[in-house]
Amino acid sequence: MKPGHLTGLDHGGMDPGPALYTIRIDGHLGATMLSAFPALVPRRRGRHTLLTGLLDRSALYGVLGEIEALGLNLLEVRRHAPHRESPRPGDSRSP
Amino acid sequence: MIDRGDLLAALDRAAARKVTIISAPAGSGKTSLIRAWAGRPGHSHQLAVVPVQRGQQDAQLFWLALLDAVRQATGAVRGAGPAAATPDFNARAMVDRVLSELADARRDLTLVIDDLHELTSLAALAQLTRLLTNLPPGVHAILATRHDLRLRLQQLRLAGELSEIRAPDLRFSERETRELLDASGIALSEAGTARLHQRTEGWAAGLRLAAISLAGHPDPERFVAEFSGSDRTVAEYLLAEMLDRQRGDVQRLLLRTCLLDRVNGELGDLLTGRPGSERILLELEDANAFVVSLDPERTSFRYHHLFADLLRLELRRRMPQQVPELHRRAASWFIQRGQVVDAIRHTQAAGDWPDAARLLADHSFSLTLDGQTQTIQALVRAFPPGADHPELALVRAMGDLGQGHLNEAAAHLAVAETYAGTAASDRRRRLRVAIASLKLSLARRRGHLAGVVEQVKFLDSPLTTQSDEDIALGSDLRAVALLNLGTVEAWSQALPDAERHLREGAVLAREIGRPYLEVGCLAQLGFASKIRPFATVQRRCLEAIALADRHGWAAEPVIAPALIALTGALVWTGDFDEAERWLQRTEQALQTDTGPDIRLIMHLAGGILHAGRGRNQQALEEFSAAEYLRSQLEGSHSLASEVTGWLLATQARLGMTGEARDLLAALDDERAGSGEIRNACAVICLAEGDPAGALRAAQDVLDGAVPVIGYVTVVEAQLLAGLAHRELGDQRAARQAAERALALAEPDRLVLPFAMTGSRGLLEDLPRHETAHGALLTDILDIMRGSSAAVGDRSPAPPAEELSPGELRVLRYLPTNLSRVEIASELSVSRNTVSTHIRNIYAKLGVSDRSSAVRRARGLRLLSAGRMK
Repeated sequence: MKPGHLTGLDHGGMDPGPALYTIRIDGHLGATMLSAFPALVPRRRGRHTLLTGLLDRSALYGVLGEIEALGLNLLEVRRHAPHRESPRPGDSRSP
Repeated sequence: MIDRGDLLAALDRAAARKVTIISAPAGSGKTSLIRAWAGRPGHSHQLAVVPVQRGQQDAQLFWLALLDAVRQATGAVRGAGPAAATPDFNARAMVDRVLSELADARRDLTLVIDDLHELTSLAALAQLTRLLTNLPPGVHAILATRHDLRLRLQQLRLAGELSEIRAPDLRFSERETRELLDASGIALSEAGTARLHQRTEGWAAGLRLAAISLAGHPDPERFVAEFSGSDRTVAEYLLAEMLDRQRGDVQRLLLRTCLLDRVNGELGDLLTGRPGSERILLELEDANAFVVSLDPERTSFRYHHLFADLLRLELRRRMPQQVPELHRRAASWFIQRGQVVDAIRHTQAAGDWPDAARLLADHSFSLTLDGQTQTIQALVRAFPPGADHPELALVRAMGDLGQGHLNEAAAHLAVAETYAGTAASDRRRRLRVAIASLKLSLARRRGHLAGVVEQVKFLDSPLTTQSDEDIALGSDLRAVALLNLGTVEAWSQALPDAERHLREGAVLAREIGRPYLEVGCLAQLGFASKIRPFATVQRRCLEAIALADRHGWAAEPVIAPALIALTGALVWTGDFDEAERWLQRTEQALQTDTGPDIRLIMHLAGGILHAGRGRNQQALEEFSAAEYLRSQLEGSHSLASEVTGWLLATQARLGMTGEARDLLAALDDERAGSGEIRNACAVICLAEGDPAGALRAAQDVLDGAVPVIGYVTVVEAQLLAGLAHRELGDQRAARQAAERALALAEPDRLVLPFAMTGSRGLLEDLPRHETAHGALLTDILDIMRGSSAAVGDRSPAPPAEELSPGELRVLRYLPTNLSRVEIASELSVSRNTVSTHIRNIYAKLGVSDRSSAVRRARGLRLLSAGRMK
């Protein structure tokens, strides 16, 4: 019997699974700052930086916590369509 | 640092309310503001400051730090120094302690809690809410946090007692920016200042970083122009600039030590591999460069959290392969200084999971005794899932035991045992001893003596140890093992062994500086003393309670056995009111329920208290609860026959003879044959109108043909025999039985058996001149008539002068109708001596006749005081 472990995912409650998020931050993030967000892909948009990646709920709050800790200016959090498993042959395409 | 007068005034106004919350992002200048506010001259507040440690998941550590801060501020540092943590932590009681310390503050006091967002324990936040809504008058609180907290403070808000200071309030104005630059000797044009202010948006951390870079810069205007022109985030840009501007050795120190929570010269030298770190740290603090000293001697420092976080990112980017090595060096430094938790954290951060598991397993025992259970659990959770370390099984078992998950604990112990068999020989013994000690705890909680005795062989064989660490661990384990062994022996039949082991445990605990274990041993010793005279029991219990009090553990479960034993002793000697007070204290201490064993004896104590007062219905409820709990525990229980016996007797007295007979029939032969059960049979027979049967049952006990727990059972049997004789019309035999009962009861001045058996009539039939125990007799009758209960309502003033022992001896005879000559003969003194004593007694009590003296003496509880000596 494996001693009781809680793995990273919380199996209780309504965890919708990972989703695609884009987070907008004021200012350009250099290499040092970006190293705090290894799971996200950066893009520059005007004076802002967009960080995009696949995040479940825990990871999302982790990222938000990191943004707070580093004193960054959070402008927007946008969630795209929820992630689905890669479609099996015969599945219809989801919208 | 500049004087931000407007902001300070705003904080002044805010702090006039009960609670002020400063909620603003990292680097906004919250801590600086509080420091400046507190440091103003002419500030009449006492200040208690609590900085919350990073990632503080351990509620107990937070509360202890808070309590210490309050005590330092009020100057109430009594006796033993900082408050000690306990393995079983009662948050409610802790908050009560803090509130009572605050109430004692003589001047206005402000409680400051900084970095409150780091407190991740929900339980702690809930209790904090309670603290904040109940602050005594004259006490204010200021909380600083990076984000709004889950504190339910609507009450305060509605009452207008809550104020907030938020980010916009903290921003530097353009004028203040100018002042900051001037104070740092930076010459910048007005346009340049405006641009700097605009780019940083008045963010304090940004301005401070900029000031550091600008100080001594050859071309400040250009610096600001480039900074404004860059789109890079303020923090990153300015940190890079600031870092580049530092000397090589400063950069090296900052980067290599940023992964520590606290830095000092030695650690700095160790991590940089160069000397001179202390000097650099002092320089940095003097330059106001985000380094802050933690002690007046300036030997220990910490970096501003935001600053440290940015440096860590920079470190990982520049020299990633160095990071684990730095953590390892830090870990070894902490180990040498016995700072185990920090060492484990750094070992984990280095990714050395097996080493971290080993460290944790080796030290979790003493950490638990230090009350750091939540910290341990946090460290366990930090291990990556999947990679399972058998060493951790031991730690998990400890956590399970602490929470009463006995089956899970047993399972983890089994895993640990299997692993211990394969461990290297030097660790094998240590692991086995640790496992034995946990098995001991497990068996004790299950009440299983046989299981305990097996583990004892590890105790009796001396440990062949090598390091000081081993010896310390061995002593810890030994003390805990003695406590558990003694406890489980006390609960079984082995009372002399229990006393021996508990006393040894208490002495060892004192030697090794484990006050919690010492209190635990003494508390159980009080409980184990039940074969001793009640005066001894009371003395031992009061000793244990006083020690617990000194450490602030008066309301903790650890002292409950002594509280209950004391209650019991008071009930046995008829001091019902006092017993009730102690019973209430016990109920408070057991709010964090510690299991069926302790609740059983609490119900038992409650049961005999009610029975003594003649409240048989309530007594029945208590005895029934005790009986149920007894059936849950393994092994033969030393109180088992008392519990069952009294349950049966009470049922019979309430007329439930049918139920009593059924229960009696269900007992196995061994139990049915005990003295206590025989007495219960006698009670049942009397209730059924069969005095002959009662006499036969009682006679078994009087003949010594059956085992008894103690002489109190024999007293009971004498009384039941007396009652039976009375029913059968044999007055002489009845009186003889009563006299024998009194004789047995005299040394301890027992009252309870007389009350429980309802022997009032039996005693009243006893002519005064035929008894050698007149004083005791009168006492018992008074208590049974309830006269002392009524007297407790009035609270007269104590006598001007205390009565001497000789006077107290005579006083006890005053309630009887013995003449002075007869009293003199009882006490083997002259009649004149007695007269002198009586004259003094009247004078001291301020009375002029015997019955007034008796009344007064009762009111002052002088008659019962004589019993305790």
